[in-house]
Amino acid sequence: MKCQKCKAADATTQVKRVVNGEYEEYMLCSECAHQMGFDNVFDTSVPDMFGGLMKSIFGAALPSRSQATRCPVCGSTYGDITNTGKVGCAKCYEVFLNELMPSVRRIHGNTTHCGKRQNMAIAEKTETSKTQNDNKAEIEKLKSELDAAVSTQNFELAAKLRDMIKEKEAQL
Amino acid sequence: MKDSIVISSRVRLARNLRDYPFPCRMDEQQRLQVIEKIKSALKNCDEKFMFVSMEDIGELDAVTMVERHLISPEFADGKPGRALAVTEDETVSIMINEEDHLRIQVIKPGLSIREAYEIADRIDTQLDKELHFAFDGSLGYLTQCPTNLGTGMRASVMMHLAALSNNHSVHRITSNLSKLGFAVRGTYGEGTEVSSCMYQLSNQVTLGISEKSAIENLQNICTQLSQSELSARSSLMQSMEYQDKISRSMGILLTAKLISHAEAMKLLSNVRVGITEGLIDDVSLDTVDELTLSIQPASLMRAKGKRLTPVERDEARAELIKNTLR
Repeated sequence: MKCQKCKAADATTQVKRVVNGEYEEYMLCSECAHQMGFDNVFDTSVPDMFGGLMKSIFGAALPSRSQATRCPVCGSTYGDITNTGKVGCAKCYEVFLNELMPSVRRIHGNTTHCGKRQNMAIAEKTETSKTQNDNKAEIEKLKSELDAAVSTQNFELAAKLRDMIKEKEAQL
Repeated sequence: MKDSIVISSRVRLARNLRDYPFPCRMDEQQRLQVIEKIKSALKNCDEKFMFVSMEDIGELDAVTMVERHLISPEFADGKPGRALAVTEDETVSIMINEEDHLRIQVIKPGLSIREAYEIADRIDTQLDKELHFAFDGSLGYLTQCPTNLGTGMRASVMMHLAALSNNHSVHRITSNLSKLGFAVRGTYGEGTEVSSCMYQLSNQVTLGISEKSAIENLQNICTQLSQSELSARSSLMQSMEYQDKISRSMGILLTAKLISHAEAMKLLSNVRVGITEGLIDDVSLDTVDELTLSIQPASLMRAKGKRLTPVERDEARAELIKNTLR
């Protein structure tokens, strides 16, 4: 299917929205989608230009390792994930962890969860260790500095402080 | 609590059942199973939920839900295997089988992100006991889209930045905010336009930052922005031109025979400032905020019980506004 905006490139992005009480749905190519602010998180068109070129020459007949590997639970290949921008199931995060990590890092700037845990009992136990308490005190200090920076609208300093806090929090 | 600038605070948590593939990989039978499981788990929550199967309702009802921020536009397309659980006061709404198995959303009026999170957190903990959510020690809650990994939490505030939009400093501020990891979105969420100075501000990063810190950051920024907006408002009110604009806006709203959605929103935005600055005292903020919801196209048609042409809508809208403000 061709993109409904430029009517030239292949449509890869489906957009659904409501305008003036009317529901509408259309298909866009990645370029038009990007221009309109709808991005695929896995869209690697820039760094992957060479791969894209190869793909257009060889078509779909160029299987790479991860394209051949299927998730045993949902049957997704890594290609399915990048094409749709959707991960198939929880197991996919195990099977394709190495392939997914660069995107995750690019999106969040972090790779380690901190926050609510399913088993709160474990979390509370580890939190009491001494080094972590030290780290926590430092985080609190940085946070008050961040507040001060924000209140003086010093956004550059605030961004730096925020990153430092994030790093510390990731160590917890 | 009514706030002159922050219209509402919202928290949503993305969660998935460990034992089922994510919605993009589910067949219809699995979708129905997931709906049933969630339905039965919700019975153990303190809140009383009503259930709506999305294929059973008409487009008009679905779009009205989008306009009232209960569901996403994506969810309104009438595909089978999706359901909505919502409390009677619409504070808690749970989309089942949207992008994730569950999107638990809590909306509270005014600046009350913490209160909204507390409710969402309690429901999440309760549901997890039965549903067993997909969770990984280092990636956190696992979601269909990696942008939600970690806490799976998006906290947002809807702010009325009328004065800051008027002197154009809002663009500078929003570009600064995106450097700090906040997203500024349109009125109906991702990919939508900003309508009549209503800005939706939310956290962008969900992995590597705790719920508490993300909420504190958002709360701080929000307080800062509110202060800037307030001082910009009081200096704007010094000018007779601006006061005149507000009074005229009220005049048009009270007398117009036809009014488009965009124009009505713009004028109501002026009136809203007039109320908070004490220039208009016979209309309440609640009235204006309720109007901004009910004059939207689908909500209007739903209230009338039939489809209307754009001109008929403009007429019905003018009438509704007139009757409400009088």
